[in-house]
Amino acid sequence: MAEQSVPAEVSEKLSALSVASAVALHLKADQYFDAIQGLIDRFATKKDLEVVYVTSTIPSQSILNAMEALEIPVEHIWFVDCISQIMMSQAKRHPHSIAVESPTMLENIMLKVEFLLRKNPERSALVVLDSINSLAIHNNTKILSEFLHILVNNLRARGAYTVIISMQEYETDEIRNMLVLVSDEAVELGA
Amino acid sequence: MPAKERDDSERERCVTGIDAIDHILNGGIPRGNTVLVSGSVGTGKTSICIEFLIRGALDGENSLYLSVTEPTDKLLENVIPFDFFDERLTKQGKLQFVDLPKIYEELGIDKEDMDFKEARLLASRIASIVEEQKIQRLVLDSVTSVCYRIKDQERIRDFLLRLGTVLSEKGCTSLLVSEIRSTEEGYSRWGVEEALADGVIVTGNLERRGDLLRTLQVVKMRGTTHSRAKYVLDLTTSGVLLVPLLKGGSVAGGG
Repeated sequence: MAEQSVPAEVSEKLSALSVASAVALHLKADQYFDAIQGLIDRFATKKDLEVVYVTSTIPSQSILNAMEALEIPVEHIWFVDCISQIMMSQAKRHPHSIAVESPTMLENIMLKVEFLLRKNPERSALVVLDSINSLAIHNNTKILSEFLHILVNNLRARGAYTVIISMQEYETDEIRNMLVLVSDEAVELGA
Repeated sequence: MPAKERDDSERERCVTGIDAIDHILNGGIPRGNTVLVSGSVGTGKTSICIEFLIRGALDGENSLYLSVTEPTDKLLENVIPFDFFDERLTKQGKLQFVDLPKIYEELGIDKEDMDFKEARLLASRIASIVEEQKIQRLVLDSVTSVCYRIKDQERIRDFLLRLGTVLSEKGCTSLLVSEIRSTEEGYSRWGVEEALADGVIVTGNLERRGDLLRTLQVVKMRGTTHSRAKYVLDLTTSGVLLVPLLKGGSVAGGG
């Protein structure tokens, strides 16, 4: 039997979950863009979801460029970009991207997510947190756990899906424990 | 016998329309309360107050903004373009903006230093506008500027007591903006404002590891139980948004 592609695997595994689930998505670095494609182009499109994509790993423009190359429509995708400002890069920002000054401003990440969800209250949403590993570079475990706990519970109450991306190469025991605490499910690609 | 828990349903509420603040106050400001909104520059006091008035006007309550420090046309140019603002509110008179200097002029108050009589005259004039226009929500931005002209603490106390009493009697819920320096202790410039107000909402800046966060905290609110925790604030076109300030375990400053 042919091996399933990463985008198809992501979409299939997430589709099996109930609404408002919080999922820890464990992936390898070389599966990164394929996993994003699976999340957004397949899963979110299939479920007709508004996507709020919080990026602290790479600038939103890089993800947008990748989406353009993959011909993924961005009409229903909104970015909370926590990395471009701190890199002092890119004066012009995409209209679907909002900046948070630094990945240490965790409250502001929650506020921007809330703002974007309020913009489209009638649509169900998927919130992607990319990634727990990059947030852990800038924040200690205690404040990061508190952030995830509040954010995930808030999103769960709103009926939104939460996907927390975790790169297997950079996972520590602390990160794994944190994800176990806040997520309903753990999805490991290729497992 | 255990102490009787306070019943928050006892007093009618003025639902601010700012979801997070209504949540903090267990349903809104007790109607008729005079609330000090206190903070240093750039902490969101005026935005909170304007949203309070717009939300009220949208809900059918006559709302009045008394501007002391800034002419209203300039203020409106600089205010956040709220998505929910409807120009018809001002055209229909549901939402009114009045420059206080025009009232000073009308009352013949031209001295820099207001005496007892003039301060009382001003409180009466504001009360009569509230009565005539059936105002249910009022913002005075800022009470600090008015107090600067009254100067004397005893006269300030008299003015605020009169104003608070008549507004409360008329069921008008009011927000008085108090400008303080970031280094100042207390919640008002003259010290008496916070003691006389029914409620105190404090906005501020919190520096944490080089990040500057806007914060909001309800310190006092008569007539309701409320959260006294500190929240982080964002001023957006969808309105004022709040989330709890993260504490990072017991690590001071969130680590």
